Amino acid sequence: MIYLDNAATSFPKAPSVAETVAGFLASAAANPGRSAHRMAVETERRIDDVRLRLTRLIGGDDPRRMIFTLNGTDALNIAIKGALAAEPDGAHVVATVVEHNSVARPLRALADAGRVCVTWVDCDEQGHVDPADIAAAMTDATRLVVMIHASNVTGAIQDAAAVGRVVRAHGALFCLDAAQTIGLLPIDVDAMNVDLLAFPAHKALLGPPGVGGLWVGPRCDPVMRPWREGGTGGDSSSPAQPVEWPHRLEAGTANTAGIIGLGAALKRPIEGRLAHERELRRMLMDRLEGDGRFAVVGPRDSGRCVGVVSLNVAGSDPHDVAAILDDSFDIAVRAGLHCAPGVHRRLGTFPAGTVRASFGPFNTEADVDRLAHALDQIA
Amino acid sequence: MSQGLDRYHRQMLLPGFGEDGQARLGHAKALLVGCGALGSIIADSLCRAGVGCLVIADRDVVELTNLQRQVLFDERDAAEATPKAEAARRKLSAINSQVRVDAVVDDVNHTNIERLADGCGVIVDGTDNFETRYLINDVAVKHGVPYVYGGAVGTVGMCYTILPHTPGGDAPWERIGRATPDLRDLFDQPPPPGSTPTCDTAGVLGPAVGVVAHLQAAEAIKVLLGAFEAVNPKMVHVDLWANTIRQFDVAAAYGAGDGVCSKQRRFDYLNGARGSGVTSLCGRNAVQITRPDRPAGPIDFDRIADRLRAHGDVRTSRFMLRANLTDGGEPYELTLFTDGRAIVKGTDEPATARSIYARYVGA
Ligand SMILES: Cc1ncc(COP(=O)(O)O)c(C=O)c1O
Repeated sequence: MIYLDNAATSFPKAPSVAETVAGFLASAAANPGRSAHRMAVETERRIDDVRLRLTRLIGGDDPRRMIFTLNGTDALNIAIKGALAAEPDGAHVVATVVEHNSVARPLRALADAGRVCVTWVDCDEQGHVDPADIAAAMTDATRLVVMIHASNVTGAIQDAAAVGRVVRAHGALFCLDAAQTIGLLPIDVDAMNVDLLAFPAHKALLGPPGVGGLWVGPRCDPVMRPWREGGTGGDSSSPAQPVEWPHRLEAGTANTAGIIGLGAALKRPIEGRLAHERELRRMLMDRLEGDGRFAVVGPRDSGRCVGVVSLNVAGSDPHDVAAILDDSFDIAVRAGLHCAPGVHRRLGTFPAGTVRASFGPFNTEADVDRLAHALDQIA
Repeated sequence: MSQGLDRYHRQMLLPGFGEDGQARLGHAKALLVGCGALGSIIADSLCRAGVGCLVIADRDVVELTNLQRQVLFDERDAAEATPKAEAARRKLSAINSQVRVDAVVDDVNHTNIERLADGCGVIVDGTDNFETRYLINDVAVKHGVPYVYGGAVGTVGMCYTILPHTPGGDAPWERIGRATPDLRDLFDQPPPPGSTPTCDTAGVLGPAVGVVAHLQAAEAIKVLLGAFEAVNPKMVHVDLWANTIRQFDVAAAYGAGDGVCSKQRRFDYLNGARGSGVTSLCGRNAVQITRPDRPAGPIDFDRIADRLRAHGDVRTSRFMLRANLTDGGEPYELTLFTDGRAIVKGTDEPATARSIYARYVGA
């Protein structure tokens, strides 16, 4: 099978992940921070090592600010709801029309509950957001700006550093959804003025499902509230949730096996991965562009993209195309809205959506060739 | 004659019945999977005979084209699109209020069938698809419950009673040497999708259904009475047009094959490994049905297209078959792919999509 659904979750995982998870479960799966026996201490040490490596990866310095979550959605919910919990009703939030439902729906729920008022900033015809539009959307009441770093539908990378500057100058908090960029793009939370960085482990980081991360910057300290309380390591005597990091946001036993699996995945360098994906995207674009049977949605220029291509075959439902690719050509892609209806509404592919091919480090030029050939037969 | 048994007088006169037998039936519980043509006749028969509790499970609603042969339903049920199980329950409680009827309006699948079959002395087949039959077979063998298989399409029908082999070998029917091979002993695999005719595509003669359903009902009554020596060990095949009634001795099938259920005691359909998958396609009012494994050969689109043309526009390509069907007044678009998967547009209900698949493709 040719797997071209890496934007949903990467496959295969880094080679050492399965082995590391199995080894951990078989020999050392104690609960970190809860007990003082040697095995628990060793587990904690291994978890903290992953915490440190993740923190370094995104340009942070204090590993305690790296919170382990269940996935990208969990990280975004903790970030968005936590950052706004202390605000009075009516706080203003800015987001964009290209957001994933894991941002759009929490904001929608808060708006429906009368807690916040949201401005959805538009993008251009290729899916890019202009940082000036973000600046223009901010008001005195704006407390939070949430933005996707790269679209899981079009692959378009947003200028997060420019948006970060605008938001920092205003004084609001900036939350970046790095689900499609972590492990590909260099991220530096300080240089980019990011206050909250949310991401899953199971995409380009090549880690297992069931783990995500949220980096919480110092500007969040006064406002950030947990939206779940409970057992933490360390001090159990206090009746209230501890305010120290990471315990403030990390109640409950973590997915230790998954985190340690992620640690194994992080040992692979990320250099070169983005260039590789882009090259594959470029190849596919070259094969499709100018052919009237195909309509590519999103940026023409792969230089501002991750390795995601969304397309439609004239006269065909994307679900049918995906089924044929799977059935007759053994190529796995995803069809539909990809949990991001806003960008389809904006780019004219709602409600049928698109066929999405998304590349990973293990894909080759031969895979692109097979896909292009298959599409040629189907169209 | 004890109270309440008067109505069963003619039946109690039969040898092997009597008041004891009748009381036994009155305490028995049967599961009927599917309440279409076969099922409604079987339900009617078992209810009139006084089987204490009938569990009737069916995912479909009554449609006008059902009334030609599905005896429990009437025009009002069709007009109101009443679920078949519920319409059956209403009719049956007017026919015999002593019988408890549990109507289950749901797809019978590996997550619920064991609960539905719990405490039942027999499972009777009124289904329209092989996947469900293999699932029933798994439950029957796993829990040692007799299973009365039946099917009718065109002018032909079959009936066969499985008295399963059990690990202890001491079920009442085994003690008198009457266990029979199960479905997987006979055919390890169900026929590939689209390879067998269905009532909705090939038509069906009402009386052919009647013959099979009554054979099944008689078998079920014998099973519930404990009259295993009277249960037919052979597979009965009738053709009401060719005027043939044949019986096949299938005893040798037990022991000949792998005995996946009967000997290895592996229940692939019941543990969910072999069932078809359903996925609602978000926001598309469409459901995708996938087959657990690729059929041995490619699906014969031309043959299926020929059958479906009577129901609407059909087009085929190398990769897919697309049919626009009208079923019960509702338009559906059925797209079938070469590995047997399908996308059914026009519903986001998995049960409806499965039903369309079973009736128009055949599974
Ligand atoms: C852009 C984007 N944000 C958030 C998510 C949510 O991540 P997860 O599926 O790990 O919850 C995804 C992936 O599905 C995504 O592509």
